[in-house]
Amino acid sequence: MSDADSGSRPRLKLGGHLAPGLAAVALFGVLALVFLRASFGEAAGFEQGASITAAIGYAMFDIDAGAVPGESMLVAFEIIDLVLVAALAGAVMLARTGAGASVVTALTDGGRDSESATIADSVRELRDTLRGGEE
Amino acid sequence: MAGIFDFAPAIVLLPFLSFLIAVGTALSGRDLLPKGGAIPGIAATGGSLVLSVAMAAAVAGGEVYDETIYAWAAGAVPGSEGLELTFGVLIDPLSAMMLVIVTLIALLVHVFSLGYMNDDGQTGLPRYYAGLGLFTASMLGFVVADNLLMAFMFFELVGLCSYLLIGFHFREPGPPSAAKKAFLVTRFGDYFFLVGVVAVFATFGTAQFVGTESAPGFPVLAEQALHGEFTANTFLGLGPQAWFTVVGLLVLGGVIGKSAQFPLHTWLPDAMEGPTPVSALIHAATMVAAGVYLVARMYGFYAVSPTALGVIALVGGFTALFAGTMGVVKRELKQVLAYSTISQYGYMMLALGAGGYVAATFHLLTHAFFKALLFLGAGSVILAMHHNENMWDMGGLKDKMPVTYYSFLAGSLALAGIFPFAGFWSKDEILFETLVHGLGGSPLLLLGYAFGLLAVPVTAFYTFRMVYLTFHGEPRTEQAESPEPVRWNVKGPLAVLGVLATVAGAVNLAPVAVLTGAHVDFLHSWLDGGFSALTVHHYEEIDPYASAYLGGEVTTVLLGAAVSLGLALLGLGLAYRLYAVPEPVEHTDKLGSVKGLLYDNYYQDEYQVYLANRVVLPLARAADTFDQGVIDGAVNAVSSVSLFSGSRIRRIQTGVVSNYAALVTLGLTALLVVFGVLGGWLL
Amino acid sequence: MVPPQYYLVLAAAVFCIGVFGLLTRKNALLFLMSVELMLNAANINLVAFSYYWGNVTGQTFGLFTMALAAAEVAVGIGIILVLYRNFKDVDVTEAATMRW
Repeated sequence: MSDADSGSRPRLKLGGHLAPGLAAVALFGVLALVFLRASFGEAAGFEQGASITAAIGYAMFDIDAGAVPGESMLVAFEIIDLVLVAALAGAVMLARTGAGASVVTALTDGGRDSESATIADSVRELRDTLRGGEE
Repeated sequence: MAGIFDFAPAIVLLPFLSFLIAVGTALSGRDLLPKGGAIPGIAATGGSLVLSVAMAAAVAGGEVYDETIYAWAAGAVPGSEGLELTFGVLIDPLSAMMLVIVTLIALLVHVFSLGYMNDDGQTGLPRYYAGLGLFTASMLGFVVADNLLMAFMFFELVGLCSYLLIGFHFREPGPPSAAKKAFLVTRFGDYFFLVGVVAVFATFGTAQFVGTESAPGFPVLAEQALHGEFTANTFLGLGPQAWFTVVGLLVLGGVIGKSAQFPLHTWLPDAMEGPTPVSALIHAATMVAAGVYLVARMYGFYAVSPTALGVIALVGGFTALFAGTMGVVKRELKQVLAYSTISQYGYMMLALGAGGYVAATFHLLTHAFFKALLFLGAGSVILAMHHNENMWDMGGLKDKMPVTYYSFLAGSLALAGIFPFAGFWSKDEILFETLVHGLGGSPLLLLGYAFGLLAVPVTAFYTFRMVYLTFHGEPRTEQAESPEPVRWNVKGPLAVLGVLATVAGAVNLAPVAVLTGAHVDFLHSWLDGGFSALTVHHYEEIDPYASAYLGGEVTTVLLGAAVSLGLALLGLGLAYRLYAVPEPVEHTDKLGSVKGLLYDNYYQDEYQVYLANRVVLPLARAADTFDQGVIDGAVNAVSSVSLFSGSRIRRIQTGVVSNYAALVTLGLTALLVVFGVLGGWLL
Repeated sequence: MVPPQYYLVLAAAVFCIGVFGLLTRKNALLFLMSVELMLNAANINLVAFSYYWGNVTGQTFGLFTMALAAAEVAVGIGIILVLYRNFKDVDVTEAATMRW
């Protein structure tokens, strides 16, 4: 590996490619200006000795037993469950290499299977043909 | 109220149904119907005839009918009351009479077509019968129309059908060209008609012919406006009287086009390219009659405008003479008849313009019969002659085709105005009305009378020149020696019409009524019934004419009849002398240069083509240049600007997500700054 | 007591570092990390204001944000896989075919 010669230590790479980052800096400037000029009152804080972790647990399952006030999050909890499952399914679907490949092969060989690659190539070919036909 | 009038729409719908059936057959491309679709047409027109007669009987019983069937558009105009565009049915004595004429002629033409088209082995018959059905349906719709807009729409349909039928033999060079000419020339007139319809709506807010007590039709409103009882919207800074004249003349444009009056008559002789039964239908009952019928229908509107009446009378009178002179020299049988049609409709217009409403309607009635007869007779001859129409190739057909000859002779005598055939009575009444109203202080009408009177011997001359050349003398060709025999379906309609052409004059024996005092002017009483605003005596009250007589009414009647009959006999006698010989020769050569002038129709076609080429074409070119250059140029400029800017601005869409993210970031920053400054919480 | 401004400025700084990463890097995997930073900037705010109001809802919501981040990464990795398969690279500037 050529990287071995330059050492494994990361280096700061400066150059023109950092120019778009100025936009981020400008955004930070504006945000900081706004925040620092805003005035807030005294924070309410939590009760001394109250268990925040327990309160979060109670709030999440809609049990009215916590020492700190909070809203019920049971529905949000269920929805996030669904979202996670959907995301997992979506990720697997995206990771699949083609119509013929099974989920298992996609997960085990990381999409490098030769047959799957052929299918991917044919899909690309088909797409190129379609694009060429439009012109 | 379930009466006979509830079936009135069926009169129109039956022929339309036969049209649909024929179109379906034509589209199927198979010979589904016996006789190529003639049977549904005959059944439909027969049914319409029965219904029409029933209507006429009900009208004779004193009933009339005016109902709006369907309002297809209604809207409020800001600043005035709403307009309603409707289809309606108006059955009064005039339309009932016309219904009977149209359905009868259409039925006979359908029957005749069996002989003329089917037996002759013509192709495309479903198309032909579809055209006939639609033609009949549109004319009937026009006749029963209860408002001007509906009348206009059916008027246009009639024009379309004439186009379709004249161009029936579309593979030959002549018919398509003639069809286009008929369509364009009549459309030129209809353009004015359309403007007139809009003007009527704008002026009166209604186009109903009759209307109701609370909302009368526009003829009544015009009358009220002149008496100051109704405020009509006039335009161009004209007073009601002048404006009504303008509107009337605009509508008259359509009439002149359809009824082939000078100067828009040029399409009609060319329309002879169509099949002969179609010519009969066009000339006798439908297309050409539509114009005159329209004037009669809205006569109350014209009657309040002396100028419009004068124009109608002069155009009619001039056309009567002008067209007659052109018919004198023609060689083809149907050409002669075509010019006689123009001439006869000129008479009707003369009568309408001269205040002879009854006389015009009477002539419309008798002319429908004898002209349909003449055309069908001509069709019979043409059939026998294997479609040779040149009269100089005929001769001597009298003995071989007796039924055709005698019926044709009856029609010719009627056309020439010989006592006691139908045409004599109606033409005499027209001339009489013109004369007495002219004497009553309208010298303009005397000019029209002179035209009409001069046309009488001309008519008689060309009619009998035609008869003698066709039927008398020796056969001049082999075809004429052995003509093709015709069957019952040709002879039947001829016989019916022959009888009618002989006796139809009896419906209005006005001179006899004057002489004997007996009430034998039935048509006069007939047209005096119905809606009070549409009666003869109402028209006589409002028209601007007074009557005067030459030494008493009886003397005038006798004198007028004697003069016109004498002149007719003069023309007939001349034709007899010149052409009723075994070997007639072309006397037209003696006319010298006049012959060429007459033969080329006074170069009417030439000057109209010249106008089209030299005036209209450059104008259209200029308009096209303006359209292409200025209008399209502006539009194209706008589009090219947006195209160009679009092709530049789309470069922002690089497809690189980093750029999009940078744009979003900058946008958010800019928004924060703007809102912060505006909201006062930044700086 | 630390005033809320400090938390806000910290969150803004973390967020803008994320944005900076998005704008200057081309590697899709680094994009995912940058997005993670931005999400966590939001979390900082949630926790800070939870303390400010003395209400535990903000902290609970922070947990949900983390779960959401996990889902985002799952989908993001899937997208990166597809991206790699189609362009033989994880450089986002290569995938610029969906434009005019």
